[in-house]
Amino acid sequence: MRVVIIGGGIAAVYLANNLKKQNYGLDVTILSDEKHPPYDRIHLCNLVDNTQNIDDISLPLDPTVRLELNQKINKIDKESKRVFSDNAMFSYDKLIIATGSLPISLFDISHIKNAAVFRSADDCDIIKVGLKGREIVIVGSGPIGLELLETLNEMPRVEKITLLLRGSHLYSKDLSIDSIKTIEECYTKKGKIRISYEDEIVDYVVHEGEITLLKTKKFQIENLFLVFGTGIKPNIENLRDIVPCNKGILTNLFMQTQDKNIYAVGECAEVAEIAFVAGHVKECTLQADCAISHILGKELLAFKLEVTIDMLKVGEFDLVEVNSPKFKTGYEKVLITSKADNRIDEYFINHDKLTRFIGINSNVDVGYIETLINSGDTLDINYLYQNRLIGERGRLICSCEHVYHQDLVDIVTQTGIASFSELANFSQAGRVCGRCKVMVSNVIQDSQHLIDPNMPRKTPEDIKREKEIAQAQKRIDKFNALHPRNNLTTDNLEFALESLDIGKHEVNSWISMVTANMQLHPNFEEVVEQGVKTLNKVPIIWLELSDCSGNSEAFIKSTNPAIEDLIFDYISLDYHELLMSASGDQSETILEDIIKNQKGEYILIVEGAVPLAMDGKYLRIGPKGETGIELLKKCAKDAKLVIAVGSCAFDGGVVAASPNPTGAVGVGTALERTDVINISGCPTNPMNIVGTLLSYIMFEELPPLDKFNRPLWAYEGRVHDNCERRGHYELGEFVQEWGDSGAKKGYCLFEMGCKGPYANVNCPTMKFNSGTSWPVQAGHGCMGCTELGFFDKFANERKYVEEEK
Amino acid sequence: MSTKKIVIDPITRIEGHLRAEVIVDAHGVVQEAFVSGQLFRGIEIILKNRDPRDAGLLAGRICGVCTNSHFRGAISCVEDAYSLEIPKNAEIIRDLIAMALFIQDHVVHFYHLHSLDFVDVTSALLASAKLTAQEAQKYHNNPYSSDYEAVLTKVGNFVKAGKLGPFSNGYWGHSDYKLTPEQNLILISHYLEALKFQTNISKAIAIFGGKTPHPQTLVVGGVTSVADMLNPQRLNDYIFIIKEAKEFIDRAYLPDAKLLALVYRDEIKGGIGRANGNFLCVGGYEFEAEQRLFCNGIIYNHDFSNITEFDASKVTEEIDRTWFSGDAKENEICYTDLNEDRTLKTAKNDDKYSWIKAPRYDGKTMESGPLARVLVSYSKGNKLIKSFVDEFLHDTDLELLDLSSTVGRNGARAIESAYICEYIFKLVSRLIQNIKYYDTDTWVKYDFEKLQKETKGRSFLEVPRGVLSHFVSIKDAKIENYSVIAPTTWNATPKNFDGLRGAYEEALIGLKIKDTSKPLEVLKVLHSFDPCLACAVHVIDADGKELSHYKIKTF
Repeated sequence: MRVVIIGGGIAAVYLANNLKKQNYGLDVTILSDEKHPPYDRIHLCNLVDNTQNIDDISLPLDPTVRLELNQKINKIDKESKRVFSDNAMFSYDKLIIATGSLPISLFDISHIKNAAVFRSADDCDIIKVGLKGREIVIVGSGPIGLELLETLNEMPRVEKITLLLRGSHLYSKDLSIDSIKTIEECYTKKGKIRISYEDEIVDYVVHEGEITLLKTKKFQIENLFLVFGTGIKPNIENLRDIVPCNKGILTNLFMQTQDKNIYAVGECAEVAEIAFVAGHVKECTLQADCAISHILGKELLAFKLEVTIDMLKVGEFDLVEVNSPKFKTGYEKVLITSKADNRIDEYFINHDKLTRFIGINSNVDVGYIETLINSGDTLDINYLYQNRLIGERGRLICSCEHVYHQDLVDIVTQTGIASFSELANFSQAGRVCGRCKVMVSNVIQDSQHLIDPNMPRKTPEDIKREKEIAQAQKRIDKFNALHPRNNLTTDNLEFALESLDIGKHEVNSWISMVTANMQLHPNFEEVVEQGVKTLNKVPIIWLELSDCSGNSEAFIKSTNPAIEDLIFDYISLDYHELLMSASGDQSETILEDIIKNQKGEYILIVEGAVPLAMDGKYLRIGPKGETGIELLKKCAKDAKLVIAVGSCAFDGGVVAASPNPTGAVGVGTALERTDVINISGCPTNPMNIVGTLLSYIMFEELPPLDKFNRPLWAYEGRVHDNCERRGHYELGEFVQEWGDSGAKKGYCLFEMGCKGPYANVNCPTMKFNSGTSWPVQAGHGCMGCTELGFFDKFANERKYVEEEK
Repeated sequence: MSTKKIVIDPITRIEGHLRAEVIVDAHGVVQEAFVSGQLFRGIEIILKNRDPRDAGLLAGRICGVCTNSHFRGAISCVEDAYSLEIPKNAEIIRDLIAMALFIQDHVVHFYHLHSLDFVDVTSALLASAKLTAQEAQKYHNNPYSSDYEAVLTKVGNFVKAGKLGPFSNGYWGHSDYKLTPEQNLILISHYLEALKFQTNISKAIAIFGGKTPHPQTLVVGGVTSVADMLNPQRLNDYIFIIKEAKEFIDRAYLPDAKLLALVYRDEIKGGIGRANGNFLCVGGYEFEAEQRLFCNGIIYNHDFSNITEFDASKVTEEIDRTWFSGDAKENEICYTDLNEDRTLKTAKNDDKYSWIKAPRYDGKTMESGPLARVLVSYSKGNKLIKSFVDEFLHDTDLELLDLSSTVGRNGARAIESAYICEYIFKLVSRLIQNIKYYDTDTWVKYDFEKLQKETKGRSFLEVPRGVLSHFVSIKDAKIENYSVIAPTTWNATPKNFDGLRGAYEEALIGLKIKDTSKPLEVLKVLHSFDPCLACAVHVIDADGKELSHYKIKTF
């Protein structure tokens, strides 16, 4: 799929990176109309005072994303799905518009030398050159305007600045007088800045492309440089004919426009149900996540407004704002101030609930405030006062990633990283909106002395693994607590192992093999072992339907059957027709008991196809003569998990082979469910059943599955690629007929109809019967028994000819 | 007298879906019995119109327990159709796979599928180790497990291990359990040992079969595992595994079978579980010129002195009471459902009640299996098997007729296992001789395009559970018709209009069920046949009931 993104800002980069992360195969292109690769607008101030250059503030972009600069899009052809710039054409499957917004100037400044907006790197160049020896006039006081004001205030070259404000407030009209005064003082202390409230431009004189005189309500200013920070509007002017727009491009909750192949994300978009929002990176990334979920067909994520956190550090003060979509005017306000610390905390309350917080030099735990707002609980003011101090995680540093000071220190001390760039492997702090990048860097530098010089360096994988192991551990503990019915303890299992003469060594080697088979790091062995010992806590029903018992038979012959027998057949397999001693009514009772009393807890393993023809009466089981499908439905209804074992349970297997006389289907089809896990094979390798059960126990969610719902760790590798005879294939050494000299030498069996190139499963590495052999080793070749419809396609000794389409 | 119908479904510890209904009188004595296969898959229908060379891989899936038997049956009958004579080595390798399967199957059957009908797990705990060791000496002078103190602790621990999984909800404490605690302990300890045994032995199958269940090395014309055959390490592995297996069979399995025969002497002498005394064996397994492990022959009515040669033309199939249409040319399904109370329709003598068809030999129902093989081979004077049977009968003080009973069937199975183990080594040495003299052929060359386009073939094999026959007719180089009669088809046959009971049904008649809510006695009888239902259910050959038009070549 080709995804084209128009725009060069944070939205475009976030979209591209995350699309790639979730589906590496995607073809993603960014079309930006700027000459610079995407950069972080939040740090534009640093370009004005030359503390950083454009490369320093560039946004990290996945290297496989195609980036096309200087592409001003002037035409979109929805029919043929193409976009055109002046000099190029791009075709797309999905188009995402992320053009952001344009700054507003109060009059046309395109031909005026000493006036600028403040939105791009180019604007910075204009300001940098133009400000020399002039009085700066800034109109408006949004967050970025305030940062620019601070930057200019610190620049020696700038001598005088006037801030024109239409209203009577700085930052927000909801701020208290005290707060405004505090902020104001920070700016005006140096004497460079004058702030003119309730003022605006009334006239100006332009001479030879330069404003020579600016008249405001209160002043007349000459020799000036004018910067507009008055606001923004969606950058969609040439798109209005393409898709319906209001203020921004109208979208549904998944950011999809009226054209199903065109999405809009960020400040250029307007979710029809929610109305226009702008100004926060968080909304932008949330929207991007929603769009990605929709485009990739993942679990759908609908956009909704969430609590946002803004942080602003200007000179001596820092400002934190936590704002909820429920905030309305007509609030009550609680103000907690401390003159000594120059600290003001403003709590905004609607209907006894906290809806907004603005703190100046605040030491409040922002995460706590956010939780409080999200909880929607009625606010107890005393509680607020008592619990206001920063928690043990310290100050919130990155509001996008919710990373606190202590989190960063922990990462530094655990991993020994020394720089912001090394941090990328462990945390995205400072990398989403970029605002806190400097703070993050400072924390990293300041905590270097805490690193233990003898500490082994941990890779990101190590850290991730440790986390996973800890989670699996928790889950196992939970299981042990959850199912007291099976009161078998670990000691008892050891007794049982002992009674079968199974030594610790044997168990350990088996555990290692299971772990390796599941493609887990050896560090997992301990939890795998505990998981195995916990399997008996999960009631298991093993149903045999239209089958040959081959998978059950394989199970009791598996690699180390003594162990598996014990674990499955003798301890946790509660209902299994082949092995259990009870018959008839007695066995029925066991089944009924599990279904009734362990709802939502037991695992159902099904072997065999489900005959559906003749009302399912080709198979009847039990004293009540239930049909196979009736029994299956009864058992599956309240099962926590349904696992289809073997080819017949997967897709009907041999029973459903042409002409499928009994109308047999696989378990998933019979149940009309898409969440049945398939472990195909004829029979399947028992180790793959063990692994699947274990990953359910250890990780709660299902293991990553392929398109046939088969666990990837077992069914990802192609037989041909891992085949022991592959070398002969490469050399062109083939068996030409059974028993010939090539067969005696173990040549490749491709010419004899081996289906290894079409089969995906771990047979070459796992083999069968304690690693004794597998069909290729035994000179026959693979018959693709794990694949869909293999009996009609692969089960023969002739070369496979791909079907013509 | 009032009668009562008991339904047992599912019958566990067997392959497949088997239902039994018995009608008992007021004293709990079985007056009539009906056994029914409850699953139909139609593998023969699926086989139609396919390339005959593909029959093996597909027919192998008839059963995952008798895995390999059907694979070989199908390949052999296609070879028979084309008159292909496969190389000696290929025959030996097929036999080596089959022999290993015999002993694996028998051991798993005896301990894991059947022994819990005799062994009360809870009673074993009361045993004294010292007395157990003494007890074991009675059945073998060097018993397999001698340290019964340790075994007792182990078993104690095992039961202490709480939830017993498949052991739970058995018929523990039933008065039909007759073993002393010490005897129970012996069998339970071997039950545990047998778990290891059966995996080891499955490796032997996999060495030449690629894997098991469902080996994959047989092809029309030979076998593919030539590289394994030429690898001395592989041969050695095979021999070593069989040696270990032989130890277990000689010192545990066979003595345990004798133990049961001694304890259940009354049952044996009372003929419990005896069928009608008609036995069928097709013989086979050549290991030296003209010498075969099993002789072919037919016994009627327990008359061991008048054994007739097996004549394939006398095999017929009926479907009077099977869920197929009686007069249709094609294999037409004619499912008549269950009664409203979900019992089998058996009231009238033409009510259909099973998916299993009704094979007859000379119009009679026959028993097939290890018991039939042992009785026929012994009675026909097979020198090889004689000493094995004599020893068993001597040690248990039984007569040959006594083997025709529930417990006796297990005796026959154990005798056969010991016998096979002894002679496997001769097969291996023949293979080694061949290789030594540069005969490494494993496949007979043929050009499929030049083979007959229209032909018929059949194969008769002795497999662990009894006689297996596959029939194929080929037209335009495709399978036109396919038919299978498996051991369980013979033994679990339903009645016909003739009213004759099959072996299962006949063996149940006269059985006294002490507690009709716990029909342990019924299970014991049925388990002694080692039922395999996936194998049993087959459609009848579409050409009609006569199978005699297939080319016949008897052993």
